[in-house]
Amino acid sequence: MDDDLPTDFQVIVVGTGMVESIVAAACSRIGKNVLHLDSSDHYGGLWASYNFDGLQKFIKEVNSDPKRQLQVYNLAEKWYIEKESAQDEKKEEGGEEKPEEAKAEPAKKVWSQANFSAEYRKFNIDMTPKLLFSRGPLVELLISSNIARYAEFRCVTRVLTWLNDRLMPVPCSRADVFATEAVGIVEKRQLMKMLTSIVGYNEEEMNNEFKDWNDKTFKEYLAHKGLTPNLIHYVLYAIAGGTNNMPCLEGVKECKKFLMSLGRYGNTPFLWPMYGSGELPQCFCSKSKTLNCDHLVIGINECPKDLISPEPAESSDISKAVFITNGSIMKSDKEPLTLLRFPPQSDDDHAVTVLEVGPATGSCPKGLFVVYFITNKVKDAESDLMGIAEKIFDMSGGDQTAESEKPKCLWSLFYNVKDTSAPVASVADCVHVCSGPDAGLDFDRAVEQAEQIFKKICPGEEFLPRAPDPEEIVFEDDVTHGPEFQREHDDEADGDAPKE
Amino acid sequence: MHGRVKVRTTEEERARKEKERQEKLKIYKHAMQQIFHKRKEGELDKNLLELTGKVLSSNPDIYTLWNIRREILIILKKSDESEEELSQLYDAELQLTEYCLKINPKSYCAWHQREWVLTTRANPNWEKELSLCNMYLKLDERNFHTWDYRRFVVSQCKPPLKDEFDFTTDKLMDNFSNYSAWHYRSKMLVELYPDVEGGRPIEDSHHKHELKMVQSAAFTDPDDTSAWFYQRWLLGAVKTNIEVAVYTVSPLKTTVAFSKPVNESYVATKIRLFINNELVNGKWQSCSGNQYDVLWIFKHNTEVTDSLDVKMEYDNENGDVQNIPSVKRNGNTYIGKGEIDFQRKYSKPVIEELINQLDSCRQLLAMEPDNKWTLLTTTVFLHCIDAKQYHKERIDNLHTLKSIDNLRAGYYDDLITKWSLEDQLIMDYKNDSLDFKIKFDDKITSLPHLQYYSHCENVDLSNQNLLSNVLASLELLQNCKKLSLANNSLTTLQRFPNLNLEELILTGNKDLDQEELEAFKKNCDYSIIF
Repeated sequence: MDDDLPTDFQVIVVGTGMVESIVAAACSRIGKNVLHLDSSDHYGGLWASYNFDGLQKFIKEVNSDPKRQLQVYNLAEKWYIEKESAQDEKKEEGGEEKPEEAKAEPAKKVWSQANFSAEYRKFNIDMTPKLLFSRGPLVELLISSNIARYAEFRCVTRVLTWLNDRLMPVPCSRADVFATEAVGIVEKRQLMKMLTSIVGYNEEEMNNEFKDWNDKTFKEYLAHKGLTPNLIHYVLYAIAGGTNNMPCLEGVKECKKFLMSLGRYGNTPFLWPMYGSGELPQCFCSKSKTLNCDHLVIGINECPKDLISPEPAESSDISKAVFITNGSIMKSDKEPLTLLRFPPQSDDDHAVTVLEVGPATGSCPKGLFVVYFITNKVKDAESDLMGIAEKIFDMSGGDQTAESEKPKCLWSLFYNVKDTSAPVASVADCVHVCSGPDAGLDFDRAVEQAEQIFKKICPGEEFLPRAPDPEEIVFEDDVTHGPEFQREHDDEADGDAPKE
Repeated sequence: MHGRVKVRTTEEERARKEKERQEKLKIYKHAMQQIFHKRKEGELDKNLLELTGKVLSSNPDIYTLWNIRREILIILKKSDESEEELSQLYDAELQLTEYCLKINPKSYCAWHQREWVLTTRANPNWEKELSLCNMYLKLDERNFHTWDYRRFVVSQCKPPLKDEFDFTTDKLMDNFSNYSAWHYRSKMLVELYPDVEGGRPIEDSHHKHELKMVQSAAFTDPDDTSAWFYQRWLLGAVKTNIEVAVYTVSPLKTTVAFSKPVNESYVATKIRLFINNELVNGKWQSCSGNQYDVLWIFKHNTEVTDSLDVKMEYDNENGDVQNIPSVKRNGNTYIGKGEIDFQRKYSKPVIEELINQLDSCRQLLAMEPDNKWTLLTTTVFLHCIDAKQYHKERIDNLHTLKSIDNLRAGYYDDLITKWSLEDQLIMDYKNDSLDFKIKFDDKITSLPHLQYYSHCENVDLSNQNLLSNVLASLELLQNCKKLSLANNSLTTLQRFPNLNLEELILTGNKDLDQEELEAFKKNCDYSIIF
């Protein structure tokens, strides 16, 4: 090792997951000496985004390494399309041109596995796809810390739900409620009244309104308020993202979070990180500079078991799936970016979160959509999620150009992830264990945990204070700059700093 | 503290800003001085264009500078500038306004300057203006300057009205709290979809569609008033005819009252008075002296005596000649009455929609009995659907509204007065009495439809809540002999009209000034009781 490399650090962060990266950035921002390490050749760990090639590599690695299967298991990849393009094959329709050169615009492109490999760089497939609430803690943190300039986002354009055996847009903003024909006129009033009152309650009114609802469900509350079954569906499953057992107060809190984030960017309360959620840890990584140290921050999946105190509390693992399709689950004029919250199919079932992203997000080549499914594991990923996939996709393979209501599924990947999201205590005070991705929709728990760890390492210090813009930085060695062009001036030395 | 970036403190930052500001002020003052000097010297040239342009780009609201620029452009137009050069100057002017509007999208003078350039230059590009409007309305869909400018552009380039109508739909879908968009929509609606056959302002299916749309907005956010205003406009979009209410022919005076204000040529061409089958010639004079009036006085020289045959012909708006006979009353007074009907007349499909919406309102009201907007809308629907049948309910509702929306109690009182009087008028017009007396319990606060009682000789307005501001309208009681205003809340008689009364009762108006009363009495030739 080179002699010049420093060997003393105040904080060593192992792993580039979301929590680790935020802690590393926060420590570095206040001047701590931070070493940030990752055992793999890419950022993010289980929070990573892969291109198609990287994903293949990941699948292969996991399937061949039993140790990695402690985190990710039941990995099942499946193709629904031919290996090579249709050109050589004798299809009944015949006449199909080579897809890349498709000249007539009406015909849909026919994709082959070879096309996917050829365009592998255009894919950014998330292991932990998540959304940001427009006024959620991560957005506020990105803004307040000025880290937002490293990231790009797209607005989620619509929120859908599954109601009466079909996909329905959820009227969640004032404009949506006005425009929708799915709810009656009296229902519109009821819905708006419910939503406005939830947003409007202050602490005291909350306590008053809900004092008798502590041990009851949100569903019971909504029914008590006289909402029709339709409206209960929208509010409970689509807006609060809940299940039938969701406690009342939690439902109110989730609704409020959703509604408060409306009207900041776009039509829905959500943002999606361009090029995938895996971009976000990197934004924080680029903040810290990157062996004797005061604090060790370590991702749970990197962490030797003997550093973790007791086994984390009983937790349910996560079932996930990724689909690549040749169209959106619900047609729309402009390319949609969709959140679909699939309500629980039976009383004690879990809800399934579905995210559909298109080429505009940098997730896939033109003509394709990437769709993510996330739910709590019951049996295994495939049996937990296949039923829902069949409802919204055509899983039969076959002719890709055929006109159909549902988009064709071209490729799928089912997998289970061990839930390592519960906060974990470590045996030593100077070791802080970061939890892995949770099944939630947003990054809020990661931000919260990162802040807690930071407060333990650096008590009393500000968590990610705003980073200065380039023009605010004073370069002490370089205060005297040349005279401005064509203007004599008598400025003091603190004039505009040269821009990099 | 190594490795930490040094950042300016807020104090340093403030000082830097202040310095910048001072610098700007210096430049501004210097430029303005230069501009006024040049103008004084009559140097209206391109150099002055440049100077004013610089100042305007950071201060778009200096009217004077825009005026100077127009002066210069007019001079340059008259000079020997080539067409091409002129065109470039105008382009530059448009660019400047666009730049200024980016700084202040609500700059009156920048919008005006743009309008001026486009109407002044040759071959203006209107399509470009329309897309500019689109852009600015995308940035702020409620900027009424832009809407106003859009109407100007549309009036020039005449795009398909349907496109404009659809544009308002788009904007309202984004945000329906938009008076400008609703207003523009109302203008498009009557242009695009008039009911040609039925003579109504809006064709049925569209009227229905709009009612549905606005109800959806109103129910989504009842606290947003823009939708309610549009709804009221829609409900008012009915066919209303001008009718003759009542005419009076007495030895003293001949008057004709109409349901709506009309002008002299209307009266002169549509009305013919016959006495003993002979057309009476004379001159028409409006009661108030205004050009349009609901009551007209006919000055003629035919003597009105006993046992005459008095009748009137009216060429009504449907193109029919309406014959209105008269009945002789005491003292050689002949009175003829027209048809009276205050019920709004909607087409059948619209009525069905209203009944539907009334039902929704009632459901909602059952859930929120104290919701002001729901109750008011329910009440207005009742009025529109069948005023007579729902009379009691709508008046009861107005009483409830007075208590839950106390700030507008006066408005509801006036509505009670109006609707109750309309109800009473129907009964009063069935008999031939010359008395007018309030026959309902609510105290009236205003005097609507008073021309309908212009034939009455005994008018009893005692024990009401009338204020002095209604006095001027008493002028419509041209044939009144005995008038009682006892026990009201009059404070002055200043605007009391000139009437040929025999008796005026003013007792019980405790805020009337005694001195004023005495003085008033001196100038009157009738008896006053107070």
